[in-house]
Amino acid sequence: MVRLKQFAQAALTSCVLAGSAHGAGTLAGTNILNRAQVSYTLAGVAESATSNATTLVVAEVLDLNVTLQSATVTVSAGDTNRTLLFRLTNTGNGSEAFPLAVDNLVAGDDFDPLGASTAVFFDTDASGDLSPADLAYSPGINDPALAPDTAVAVLLVNDIPAGLADGVIGRSRLLASAATGTGTPGTSFAGLGSSGTDAVVGANGGQASALGEYQVSEVNVTLTKSATVVGNSGTADPVPGARITYQIIVNVSGSAAASGLVFTDAIPAGTSFTAGSLQLNGVTLTDAADADGGEFQGGASPAVRVALGDLTQAAGAQTVVFTVTIN
Amino acid sequence: MKAKMDWLAGAMLMILATTAVAQDQGCILLKTVAEIEQVTTDERGEQSTQLVPVEKIVPGNEIVYTVSATNICDQAAEHVVIDNPVPEHMNYVANSAIGPGTEVTFSVDGGFNFGKPDALKVANADGGERKAEPAEYTNIRWVMRNPLKPGDVAFARFRAVLE
Repeated sequence: MVRLKQFAQAALTSCVLAGSAHGAGTLAGTNILNRAQVSYTLAGVAESATSNATTLVVAEVLDLNVTLQSATVTVSAGDTNRTLLFRLTNTGNGSEAFPLAVDNLVAGDDFDPLGASTAVFFDTDASGDLSPADLAYSPGINDPALAPDTAVAVLLVNDIPAGLADGVIGRSRLLASAATGTGTPGTSFAGLGSSGTDAVVGANGGQASALGEYQVSEVNVTLTKSATVVGNSGTADPVPGARITYQIIVNVSGSAAASGLVFTDAIPAGTSFTAGSLQLNGVTLTDAADADGGEFQGGASPAVRVALGDLTQAAGAQTVVFTVTIN
Repeated sequence: MKAKMDWLAGAMLMILATTAVAQDQGCILLKTVAEIEQVTTDERGEQSTQLVPVEKIVPGNEIVYTVSATNICDQAAEHVVIDNPVPEHMNYVANSAIGPGTEVTFSVDGGFNFGKPDALKVANADGGERKAEPAEYTNIRWVMRNPLKPGDVAFARFRAVLE
């Protein structure tokens, strides 16, 4: 009987919401005034004059970006509520709301993540992952409204389909657009900008998106057990007094690690463990529970136990051998 | 006789009135316009640029400001100097200040001192000095080398980019 433990991997990133007043440019609605002056002399008398003033109004540029904040998220087939972290920034110069959308049918990947029942959350507590304090996103109800040069952290929540092979990748796209309008850069929406100015579509067409990805990482552990019987007279008859040597080969395959793997095997009823016969990869392990990771556990249910540690495919086959005597 | 004297009195009043009006509005009429370059492509695919009036701008736009000074009197105006502060939220575009018959200098201290680009210094973070960047100029000055004769127009132009 073999038991093993595995640890899940989590990618935690921190989310920083920065605000710089001038990154996105002069605020929409600002008036830009210009006026000239002239001084001169007329028949020796100093004179001066001032020109008219020109006034230009700064329009709102509709501009945003979406960036992925998670590295590739390692998942197992059948996982639920696995998150991808994004950051949406208003890079325009006026306050703007940004409706969000999700696309899981991204071309070029191996599988489509399945949107969880609530697929989009704001990372309200800035934990980098989904937590009870995070606010769910409802399209049209709480579209994120951002001042210029501010950002919000957004979590996409997906389930991973079952039956996926080790190493396959699934991608999920978060899309955001400016509520005032999108389209060809330079398109103007008269009077619809913040502060009553015009709104002008920026270089990205008033929308932005980013892709996150999940990668399936499975580990498979197989055991191959064989037994060799050696009788007192050298024959292979399993009679009282004969010795049975068991050999178990532990094989790990896949891209994940089997963490904290422990091999346990019961001493068959009607046999007795041969002291000092426990070996790992040809090295004898003491029967006592000590630092060498192997032990013989006596008592009502005798067993051998070998701690194999964290094993990956690269570690290669691990061979456990022990001998019992037929009572 | 009385009619002739009335005519003279009326003429003198007119001359006085005209002179008074001329002194109130000065001898130089100063105007400024804000324009932006527009590129048009004709049917043959050839591009041409022209300056067009502008009212609404976005960060990054380059605006062309043109000042005209017209002498509307019958005497020459001497030592003509046109001053233009760089508008707030805008950065002066290097080498863009032009004016036929003028010498152009700049200020980085709000118009107290003017000099050529090589002479303009600003303080460094470590307490030293460095040459000022054109985007740091605060004022532009055009000094006319010759008097502005009656009826003549002097032009001064510069470009600035909206932050």
